[in-house]
Amino acid sequence: MGQAAMVGKDAPVVRVQDFVKRYRKQMAVDGASLSIDRGEIYGLIGPDGAGKSSLMKAIAGVLSFDGGTLHIFGEKIDSEAAAERVKGRLGFMPQGLGLNLYPELSVEENIDFFAELRDVPPAELAQRKHKLLAMTRLDNFRDRPMKQLSGGMKQKLGLVCTLIHEPELIILDEPTTGVDPVSRRDFWMILTQLLRERGVTALVSTAYMDEAARFHRLSLMFDGRVLIEGEPDTILREVPGALVELVAEPQVEALLRLKTRFPQAEAVGPKLRVFVPGATPQLARAQVEAQLEGLMVSEMQAVAPELEDAFIALLQQRQPAGQDDARQTQVWLDGDPPKGDGIAIAARELSRDFDHFRAVDRVSFEVRQGEIFGLLGANGAGKTTAIKMLTGILPPTGGAGTVAGADMRRAGLAIKGRIGYVSQAFSLYQDMTVQENLRLFARIYGVPGSRLAERIGRVVALAGLSGVTAQLVSKLPMGIRQRLALACALVHGPRVLFLDEPTSGVDPIGRRRFWEILVHLARIEQVAILITTHYMSEAEHCDHLALMHAGRIIADDTPAALKAALQQEAGQVLDIGAEPVLPALEALEQAGFSDAALFGERIHLLARDITAAEARIRTLFAERGIQLRDIAPRTPTLEDVFVHRILQQEQQEASA
Amino acid sequence: MKIRRIVALAYKEWREILRDRLFFALAFVVPASLMLIFGYGLTLDVEHIPFAVVDHDKSAMSRDYLHRYIDSRYFDYKGDVASEREIEPLLADSRIRLAIVIPPRFQENLMSGRAVEVQTLIDGTFPFRTSSSKGYVVAINAAFNGELLGSYISRRLGVSAETAKAMAQPVGVQLRYLYNQEVKSVWSIAAVLMMFVLMITPPFLTALGVVREKENVSIYNIYASTVTRGEFLIGKLAPYVAISVINFLILWLMATQLFGAPFKGDPLFFLLASVIYVTCTTGIGLLVSLFVRTQVAAMMLTVIVTIVPSVLYSGLLVPIASMDAAGQFEAHLFPAMYYTDIVLGSFLKGVGLEQLWGKVLALLIYAVGLWTASFLMFHKRPKS
Repeated sequence: MGQAAMVGKDAPVVRVQDFVKRYRKQMAVDGASLSIDRGEIYGLIGPDGAGKSSLMKAIAGVLSFDGGTLHIFGEKIDSEAAAERVKGRLGFMPQGLGLNLYPELSVEENIDFFAELRDVPPAELAQRKHKLLAMTRLDNFRDRPMKQLSGGMKQKLGLVCTLIHEPELIILDEPTTGVDPVSRRDFWMILTQLLRERGVTALVSTAYMDEAARFHRLSLMFDGRVLIEGEPDTILREVPGALVELVAEPQVEALLRLKTRFPQAEAVGPKLRVFVPGATPQLARAQVEAQLEGLMVSEMQAVAPELEDAFIALLQQRQPAGQDDARQTQVWLDGDPPKGDGIAIAARELSRDFDHFRAVDRVSFEVRQGEIFGLLGANGAGKTTAIKMLTGILPPTGGAGTVAGADMRRAGLAIKGRIGYVSQAFSLYQDMTVQENLRLFARIYGVPGSRLAERIGRVVALAGLSGVTAQLVSKLPMGIRQRLALACALVHGPRVLFLDEPTSGVDPIGRRRFWEILVHLARIEQVAILITTHYMSEAEHCDHLALMHAGRIIADDTPAALKAALQQEAGQVLDIGAEPVLPALEALEQAGFSDAALFGERIHLLARDITAAEARIRTLFAERGIQLRDIAPRTPTLEDVFVHRILQQEQQEASA
Repeated sequence: MKIRRIVALAYKEWREILRDRLFFALAFVVPASLMLIFGYGLTLDVEHIPFAVVDHDKSAMSRDYLHRYIDSRYFDYKGDVASEREIEPLLADSRIRLAIVIPPRFQENLMSGRAVEVQTLIDGTFPFRTSSSKGYVVAINAAFNGELLGSYISRRLGVSAETAKAMAQPVGVQLRYLYNQEVKSVWSIAAVLMMFVLMITPPFLTALGVVREKENVSIYNIYASTVTRGEFLIGKLAPYVAISVINFLILWLMATQLFGAPFKGDPLFFLLASVIYVTCTTGIGLLVSLFVRTQVAAMMLTVIVTIVPSVLYSGLLVPIASMDAAGQFEAHLFPAMYYTDIVLGSFLKGVGLEQLWGKVLALLIYAVGLWTASFLMFHKRPKS
């Protein structure tokens, strides 16, 4: 482990100083500075448009820039020729899952091409290929054309192709976006292992805040700037504050009261989460209690804030969020919710085949009026296809989907008019203003002229768009566009709402505001909401979750129940800090902890009997001369649940 | 320059083209189809003009006059109708393009030395056909008049028919068509179509191939690697030049075997000149691809920059010499015109390098210019 010990001792591998990149007049990166040491995994975290890709491309020497300096391996990169000099030591994987691979070529042909491009001698190529294919479990698919691989396999092949010439620095642009949690875990595992063995340095970007723990150090980027740089723990310390979680009745009233004092209050499923900046846990609890006097409060506890809380707090320090339009009571729908059994959406044994491929496989679930139902899964899991069948856009091959009791295969316009649908690539007209888009959608959905102004007024208030009605859509930031897409889908007053990955690429503040609206719609307006997402952190907001994998639902319950079931079946998550970490992981795996996984510098594993497991680990590490720094149980995340269920499913299929 | 990298690039590209059905079709099916469609569709010969007849005289002489049309290969006799009124709907339906009306007492008037008027109705919707039709009618009518005059002279002067004919038409025209003895337009057209197809398809395919790589970000594999600009351009484009040469051979076979065009020139010279030409048109595609980001934009731009010169300024439809000065100047700016001369010279005139070296040189300069410009414009560290 000589390499690991050398971390930070020599000159930084990458040094970026006051970096500026413009596309014509558009500022992409505005004065970013950071440095990356040898052997570390450095993270760039931020929403779409934060400038991550531009910065990474410039570091990879495939994009020129307009200001500042950039040093790679001590070489000043100021021209194409200078960039050429370091390219042999770099590996770059651009954004987009498997997009840079060649779909018509097989797995092996892809690897060979990258190797030949990089002058890898044939003998070494054979050896490295063998090792990397075994590691990524792709060796059985050598001859399969790349276009027939799953998302996770494409991502791993991309990694193999980037590593085949053994670069000293690899630059990976959003390698985990849209990949299922198991593949994601595998990916981090392989990456960490390779980096450790070879002392390679990695620069990795992600839009998922919850991946921050995977990095040694990271930069939070927003709007072309680095907000803060450092180790994850240091960043949390730099933004002092405490997080209070509680359950209060009635929730809506409690949330409103909290919001007047704490802008970072939100409803997450049945719970309320409040970040109190600058306060100690005791003080935070006291402040929150004072704010909620007279309400039924239970299960209050102060927990450690997460990076996302810190990120939002930082953003709000810079630009206080415009608190526009108070929206409290029922502003939007008239009258009472529909009577009946309260089931708004039902899928019964819904299936859909494309040629020989089953995209959705006997999927069943129900969504009640006033419920937020989350469909969670990787790209290609079948989420969008399921939504398309339920909205009547795509006829099912088998089974049926009903909305408000009507079969969507035969549903007339009257039923379709009661549905709101926000698709993945929302269909807004970029060259029209917000107001014009709303009018157009209202007219398309048949809102009568006499009610037009009133309806538009209501959705504008609901979505908080009153300041921007005269602006062109193309000029609006992503977060506001998303709210406009939502407003357009709501303008005709539907009681059932379908949302297909509405928050991909939106910044955390934008995502929170979006969820506030959704919570309002469900809780107060009693709208039934079916939403798909691949953000695990968002899934916590849903009242009910269905996990989709390879076309099937593999688990279906409330988030709390899903976690409880995991604890019952597989035990608690143990969070272990050990030194040196790689031999520790190896020892654990040999001792039978098969699900031990690396998270940055730490190891997670599932154990049914925590005290027994801890004792075993202590003796194991003592035998091997590994230092155990700390060990503690952690509540499992939904990602832990998802990974466990997928592995379970795969085992069942393997044994069947 | 590392040969291994160039080969890797070229081989990768080649496999992609062969395995992608759409690309394969674009590469090998489209050029031959274009040749077939245009070869059969673009024939400029006016023959088999459908016509009908109103014969109010029904005499031996009127039948003799009409048979000159009926027996001609330029006309297709569709039948007799009773009156002028019935002609109108036939013309309107395009069932006939021409009608001939013989007036009453045609023979009687002619015999007694009075002039008669034969009414001819021609569909004027296609001016080119119309003027050809008119030419045929005037010629047949003149021949009939000549014979009448000849037989009159022969009867009055008591000389032989030969002498009478010589006296009636003292100046004859002796025509010899050179290079295309049968004046078959398909001979010329098949040859010129090779120019057309090889002007359009290689740039199209090349631009799509390069822009596709930009659009799906695999171009970053190249940018981020140590492959040099020259290695990339040569490796990437070699398969497209190869495909174009294969297409050239297929088209050559089609022109000679299917359309029966004679090939009188030097095959080796023609092959070499054609390789230069496709290198040149592939270069057009490469240059286009450097200006655009999407495949759709690449298609539009390629169509504009290739179809216009190859149709209008190449001699395909209008000979360069009959253009005005501005048109001739523009024609000299595009490579299509030079290759048209090479194709026609090789096919029909049987001339070679001695006469055509200037044209080949022009193509060579063009090709070198395009590739150099592309090389200078291609960067591995672009601005966006």
